[in-house]
Amino acid sequence: MMLHEKDLLLIGHPGNRRTTGIQEARSQMGMKPATVLPYENLLQTWRRGGGLAELVKSSSPSPLIRLDAPGEDWEVERGLLHLGATDYEVSDGKVRTDSEPSVKGSKACVATDLPSSLQKVKRESFSAEAALILEQQWGRIYAPAQWFRGWKICLDRIAREARVVWPDVQFWNDPDEIGMMFDKRECQLHLMRHGISVPPILPSSEPIRSWEMLRAGMDASRMHRVFVKLACGSAASGVVAYQVNPRTGAEIAVTTVGMETSQGRTLFYNEGKLQKYTHPEEIRTLLDWLCAEGAQIERWMPKATLNQRAYDIRQLVAAGQAGHAVMRLSHTPITNLHLRNERMLPAEAGLKESHLSMIQKAAQDTIRVFPKSWSAGIDVMLTSGMNPRAYVLDVNPFGDLLYRVKYEGMSPYEWEMKLLRKEPVRHA
Amino acid sequence: MQEVKLVVNYDDYEEGIRMETLLQDLAAKPEAATLESLIIGDWGQAYENSPQEFKDTLIQLAPSFPALKQLFIGDMESEECEVSWIVQTNLAPILQAFPNLTSFVIKGSSGLELEPLQHSKLEELIIICGGLPKKVLHSIAAAELPELRKLELYLGVEDYGFNGSLEDVLPLLEKGRFPKLEYLGLKDSEIQDEIAKAVADASILEQIQILDFSEGTLSDEGAEALLASDKIKQLKHLNLSYHFMTDEMMERFKQSGMSVDVSDQQEIDEDDWRFPMLTE
Repeated sequence: MMLHEKDLLLIGHPGNRRTTGIQEARSQMGMKPATVLPYENLLQTWRRGGGLAELVKSSSPSPLIRLDAPGEDWEVERGLLHLGATDYEVSDGKVRTDSEPSVKGSKACVATDLPSSLQKVKRESFSAEAALILEQQWGRIYAPAQWFRGWKICLDRIAREARVVWPDVQFWNDPDEIGMMFDKRECQLHLMRHGISVPPILPSSEPIRSWEMLRAGMDASRMHRVFVKLACGSAASGVVAYQVNPRTGAEIAVTTVGMETSQGRTLFYNEGKLQKYTHPEEIRTLLDWLCAEGAQIERWMPKATLNQRAYDIRQLVAAGQAGHAVMRLSHTPITNLHLRNERMLPAEAGLKESHLSMIQKAAQDTIRVFPKSWSAGIDVMLTSGMNPRAYVLDVNPFGDLLYRVKYEGMSPYEWEMKLLRKEPVRHA
Repeated sequence: MQEVKLVVNYDDYEEGIRMETLLQDLAAKPEAATLESLIIGDWGQAYENSPQEFKDTLIQLAPSFPALKQLFIGDMESEECEVSWIVQTNLAPILQAFPNLTSFVIKGSSGLELEPLQHSKLEELIIICGGLPKKVLHSIAAAELPELRKLELYLGVEDYGFNGSLEDVLPLLEKGRFPKLEYLGLKDSEIQDEIAKAVADASILEQIQILDFSEGTLSDEGAEALLASDKIKQLKHLNLSYHFMTDEMMERFKQSGMSVDVSDQQEIDEDDWRFPMLTE
């Protein structure tokens, strides 16, 4: 079995928790360390007009490629915004930069000087050139739709170039499917079409681009409590629990998104602390932005609670098997916060065996509809009440970074490496 | 004790299941005859639908629950419905349909009425809400509840339905109003200081053993009045948990020799806004 163990090419950030964790697990399991290809190098190479081929040893046998999370690295963030800029064009692998030099500095083109009722809400956008010299403001959420376009281009290009170097290359998770998992709109639709239970999506004949359209949709469907989620956000970033009281008209929006308005322009941030908005004006600004950038809008279904705290479960699946599971508990509607929410193991919480198997089954069914992906972290909720059912909330292609949880005595990465040996990735 | 909680969750509601159906099913089971505690949780979109939907059914079915002592209507989390958005209705007829009830707990106060409030065996009345309407306070003040031992009211804030003032609370403080009352909770109030000052020397304290001013906006102002009162010193216990008192004031309570809970001290924010606990 050991003879044909494939080399692992890891595209990620050298030295971060993920890369280090994977390398440690490989050494623990007596496997060769992965070759690490930094996203940063790759993006730079592309900008220079080069490609993946020059960064890898093409003479070596085809590796297994794992794409890891691209986030939490400012150079890469800028690089992806650059790739996603509308004035960024590729011809024969070269970047055409024939556009006139743009306004100096990293000025965003957001028009917010008119009341939003009078204008079509625009997405934030940066020119390709401006994106590269953006200065980082801590926590700020930059042009999410543009970022996502850049990330999709990146995924696409990696897949194409890798297949040129190694026609029989295999991916841990297929880049196309990663793109689909990342887009909550596409992902939830895909799951629904394959019979997986997901929270009902707000019906609408056209994409919802503004608060006004959102409200019209909610009223028409009598769906008074919804989650509005940035289509390409990860974890709790860009998630709003929004409810409207049909009797009084009162509104409440709970979210991690903070807003700062100066000179008629609003910037949006990830806040460490939950924000609660009740003023219609603020709510409108927030949701106009979110809807314009692209949002998944679904029914806010009451989650099962444990000691008055709502919870959901991150269930890791790899090679079709259900492994590590972590419960995330919160007094707020948003359970998947990174830092502040309490975590528990299902066994500690006394979660019933029957409930746990329901969750595992939902997660396993989910990964099956991504036939070219080998592992994912699936977020599953149970409904409140006496006979709960499982609903899939999110599929995270990089959802195996879980701390302080063991399964069969192994950390998530160790477990995956062991499985990888026993049941290597087979999909093309 | 036998206890059952009924909940209409999302899937149930979509499938047309209603609290009415769950109550009928429960009444048809043999365990109904010995059931002592019934908790009615989310009845489905409680921000829009009130217990009016199942009220008549529950009243009709009352003879099927001859052993019932405790009834809770509206036990739900904010995940299901914000407490201030829970729609209630006049629940007094339900109380009357269960003459052996000793404990009645209500969560949510929007649209709540208790008229007329009469019960010969009720020992405990608890209303948990974001703001208690003065109409309900008036009904309680005029109630006939000869066995009432514990009265616990979340008074809340104006934004969430507290449309009264101290004037509407005062009638509850007359000695003998409820001859057997031992536990008085006037809590989670935005006028907690005013209430503390009014209660500090009220005649009702001569019959009260436990006074509960927790979860409100109590500060040194109200606390001073409590410390100065001899009647307060006679209490078996004083609950001031969740408060805005200073460290010095807390220390004075600790030194007083009283049985007093001063836990969960809150920080006053820069604008000197003080909020009761249950304001969502």
